[in-house]
Amino acid sequence: MKQAAEPSRLLSVESINVSYGDAPALWDLSLHVNEGELVSVVGPNGAGKTTLINTIMRLLPVRSGRITLRGEDVTRMSATQMCNRDVSIVPEGRLLFGQMTVEENLDIGCYRSLARPRRSETMERVYALFPILKERRWQLAGTLSGGQQQMVAFGRALMAHPRLLLIDEPSLGLAPSIVELVFEAIGQIHRSGVSILLIEQNAARAMDAASRAYVLEGGRIVTEGDPQQLMKQPAIRAAYLGEAEHPV
Amino acid sequence: MQMPSLELLGQSLLSGLFIGGLYGLLGLGLSLSWGMLRQINLAHFALAFLGAYLTYQLSEHFKLDPFLTMLIIVPGFFLIGMAMHWMFAKFKVTPFNSLLVTFGLAVIIESLIQWIWSADYRKLESPYNDIKFQVGKLFLPLPELMTLLIAIALSIATWALLRYTHLGKAMRAMSENPKMASAFGINEPMLALLLSGAASAFAGVAGACLALSFTLAPSQIYAWVGVVFSAVMIGGLGNPLGPLVAGIVIGLSEAATMAVTAPAWAPLVSFSLLIAVLLLRPGKV
Amino acid sequence: MDRRVIAAFVVLVPLLAAVPLLKLPAFYETFLYLVLHWIVLATSWNILSGYSGYFSFGHGAFFGVGIYTTAVLSGKLDWPFLSTLPVAALVAAVFGVGLGAIVFRLPRLRGELFGLLTLAITFVIGTIILNTPIDGGPGVYLSAVPVPAIGPTPSGSFYLIILALAALVLWVAYWIYTARLGSGLFAIHDDEDVAEVQGVPTYRYKLIAFGISCAFAGMAGGIHSVFVSYVTVGEVFNIVVPLNVVLMSVLGGSRHWFGPAVGATVITALLYAFTAGDFAVAGRAAIGFILIAVILFMPQGILGQLLRYWRKRAAPKPLPQPLPPAPIPRTGQSGELILSVEGVTKQFTGVRALSDVTLQVHRGEILGLVGPNGSGKSTMVNVITGLYKPEAGRVVFNGTDLVPLPSFQAAHAGIARTYQIPRPFASLTVLENATLAGMFGGRQLSRSQAERQAMHWLEFVGLAERAGALPTELNLHQRKFLELARALASAPQLVLLDEVLAGLTPSEINSAITLVREIRNRGSTVVFIEHNMRAVLELCERLIVLNYGQIIASGDPRKVIADPEVISAYLGTPHETGR
Repeated sequence: MKQAAEPSRLLSVESINVSYGDAPALWDLSLHVNEGELVSVVGPNGAGKTTLINTIMRLLPVRSGRITLRGEDVTRMSATQMCNRDVSIVPEGRLLFGQMTVEENLDIGCYRSLARPRRSETMERVYALFPILKERRWQLAGTLSGGQQQMVAFGRALMAHPRLLLIDEPSLGLAPSIVELVFEAIGQIHRSGVSILLIEQNAARAMDAASRAYVLEGGRIVTEGDPQQLMKQPAIRAAYLGEAEHPV
Repeated sequence: MQMPSLELLGQSLLSGLFIGGLYGLLGLGLSLSWGMLRQINLAHFALAFLGAYLTYQLSEHFKLDPFLTMLIIVPGFFLIGMAMHWMFAKFKVTPFNSLLVTFGLAVIIESLIQWIWSADYRKLESPYNDIKFQVGKLFLPLPELMTLLIAIALSIATWALLRYTHLGKAMRAMSENPKMASAFGINEPMLALLLSGAASAFAGVAGACLALSFTLAPSQIYAWVGVVFSAVMIGGLGNPLGPLVAGIVIGLSEAATMAVTAPAWAPLVSFSLLIAVLLLRPGKV
Repeated sequence: MDRRVIAAFVVLVPLLAAVPLLKLPAFYETFLYLVLHWIVLATSWNILSGYSGYFSFGHGAFFGVGIYTTAVLSGKLDWPFLSTLPVAALVAAVFGVGLGAIVFRLPRLRGELFGLLTLAITFVIGTIILNTPIDGGPGVYLSAVPVPAIGPTPSGSFYLIILALAALVLWVAYWIYTARLGSGLFAIHDDEDVAEVQGVPTYRYKLIAFGISCAFAGMAGGIHSVFVSYVTVGEVFNIVVPLNVVLMSVLGGSRHWFGPAVGATVITALLYAFTAGDFAVAGRAAIGFILIAVILFMPQGILGQLLRYWRKRAAPKPLPQPLPPAPIPRTGQSGELILSVEGVTKQFTGVRALSDVTLQVHRGEILGLVGPNGSGKSTMVNVITGLYKPEAGRVVFNGTDLVPLPSFQAAHAGIARTYQIPRPFASLTVLENATLAGMFGGRQLSRSQAERQAMHWLEFVGLAERAGALPTELNLHQRKFLELARALASAPQLVLLDEVLAGLTPSEINSAITLVREIRNRGSTVVFIEHNMRAVLELCERLIVLNYGQIIASGDPRKVIADPEVISAYLGTPHETGR
């Protein structure tokens, strides 16, 4: 097939306005993720990236606008309903259940009825992806290092058998060598057929991995397009570092 | 201070063990609702006494076997517990305010008890009271033994449920981070209702055991508050085995103190332990 | 102090003192005694617990200590009754202050845990008294103690004694309410950490309030022991007294000096009416319902609700005249060091937030402190302002190392800060928030002076019309500017602005930038922590970049952001095999 089939819209966010408390956080924001894509959203701290991810997962209410998943309007749904529609999240700061073991955290991942029957099969795949977790399966998640916790967070999300994976700042607080591992895992997960929306402060890495990117600043999308092109533009340095004195 | 005979000491420690079991049974529900739902339920004690009085009433007047009365009490109290949690959730009661609201509930329940059964002492006379087992020179009265066994059974069952079943893991996840738990399909409101119901059902069971061994009076309700809170805190909030272990430790210490000095020194033990735990335990309880 | 309140005291107390002349039956005099008795207990409890939020469940312990002090002195050692009362107060106060000295040092013992601890103390003291010759078991008989014939009858005399105590307690509660101590306690109630950083000596204030509260409980106990004439440990050291005072204060309104008195009167009257009418049980049940209803629907209590209602109807109070502040004392030359952070390391479990950081701030400059998320900027601010103590290093401000000093000294020395997510005192108005900063900050102003200063700064940030509003009625922008006004109202020499611009629109950002410049021009040195690089470049004369708890660059802002290490810290390093 020479011509690629029209990519089907997996996730569509249309002109949403979101407030965090009473402070407006996202303005008139639109983006989409097609089936099979890895899309990155980058931007400086305070731009609203975590608000965006939490809103898509329906952990935050939407003031106005629409979110659709495979054509279905999910704007008024709950996080549990999103989970049951094959959406899973790797939240910022990992947010593991620290008093539970690694394996128990993975168990929670497959709590939903669709995922539970395939528990052992999925768990084997997670352990294959992150061998160190198999070694430490009985360890309390709260006692793991940052990098290991990040792996558990990925594993937990994968146990839910998602078709869309939302990843929020996976490199936060991790040493560069661990960031390497994390992005490798992201690549593998993507290649196994999971669509990914990746939020990252580390723009270079995020752009590397993605087929399409958005730049978020001050709660708005300021630019979007091909990641490599975006990295060359002064707009991205301006977003992070103010006016650029000279181009890259 | 005089050293008692070995038999006396042994019997003393045994009764300390038994009462420790009751502390544990009373503390189990309290620990669950405080540790996992962040509700400090002062009404727990009043509920236990309500259960005790109901056991007394059903036994004395309807000639029901005291242990069978639990079949009626458990479901009833389960519903009461669910109703309480529903109210807390609806009014968004903070952990601190739950202390005050449940105090109000406790007062209401206590008044109800006094209205129905008056302030007079009531004692459940059952054939079980006279049965004693003998092991060597020590006597094990049946009601107290049953209480201990029930306490152990319920604590272990709860622990196992929380540890090994999907439902239990979901409850633990929910108590740590309800939002994240919901992102993985866990129905937090439903589970919270179940937990709250179970905690109150445990109160009812504890009450039934109380009725078997103790004379009941409404004024006695608050006598248990201090020592059971001690057991709950020392055992660690939310840990199902905690109140039992801590309760037994407290019971044994009290018994030893009583045997060696005067009975009136006993309360010092649990409260001093509680103070020590509060002051010395690093980090959050 | 309100003249109307003073007048009420001056008029009502003598009037009430004349009641025994009416020769009412003992039934009524006893009722009046009980009402006043509970007014004393509830009001004294409220001084610590209602004002500061440290709910003590141990008021019964100090009441009991007072009871037994008098029981022993009068009942067993034949001291004259009245002379035992000051001793009862003193002994109870000593116990309270002793307990507080230990417990208030432990920040995790707040809220429910403080309540439980104080409850446990009750039973410990009770058990000790029960098992020692103080009581020993049988209780203490005090019927033989002669009651001074102040009134026409014994019950009349008791009434007068407790009336005197009640008047005293209410007066003291009122005085504290209007004094610095009260303002500090209310600030502690809303946010103890912020109060400390604003300069409130939290430890000292809590101890003082606790001591006063226990002293009055002790004295009430001393009086009560002879009133009931037979005391036992079981009747005294239990959960009933603390729960009653909590109930009465919450019902009446625990944020007001008179609230507990209202609650005490209502509850005592209810109980008395029901007991008299043989409906004691129904009465208690009613109280349970009332408590639940109040917590759920009327958390400010009866008086609190009434006051809110009256305030809405009343004409608004005139605002104080703004007063421009005296110039910030230039204790040194422009350009010299105002703050020197030397080798500071701050460790949390598993994370080293700051690693051997050394930086300097020069008087009169606007210094920018930037870095990616998690680089340690907020930790740095918390260390400088005293909220965290570093594991190593010094924080030298105007020549004095602040690290060994109690946290509130940073504010007294002249340091102020804003919070990234605004943390105003939720129950205080905008004006009161700003006033507090002036009262407890470097200048230690009187309330009226602080109010005028506060008005000046509220005008400066544009919040003057909202001076009477509560923080929940403001939007984010206004709350951020309240943070700013509050920081400035303490006339700081050094002000740390922690992400003031987050969440603001571009035009709001522009006005904020103008404000910050103005702040510096008026004599404060500014450390500006921000993510918004455009603003940083516009404002800052010097820039320091943190990453992973260490300084990776410092100097001229434009040079710094072009530094490759800084760029990669922010944007990340591309993949090794990148294109």
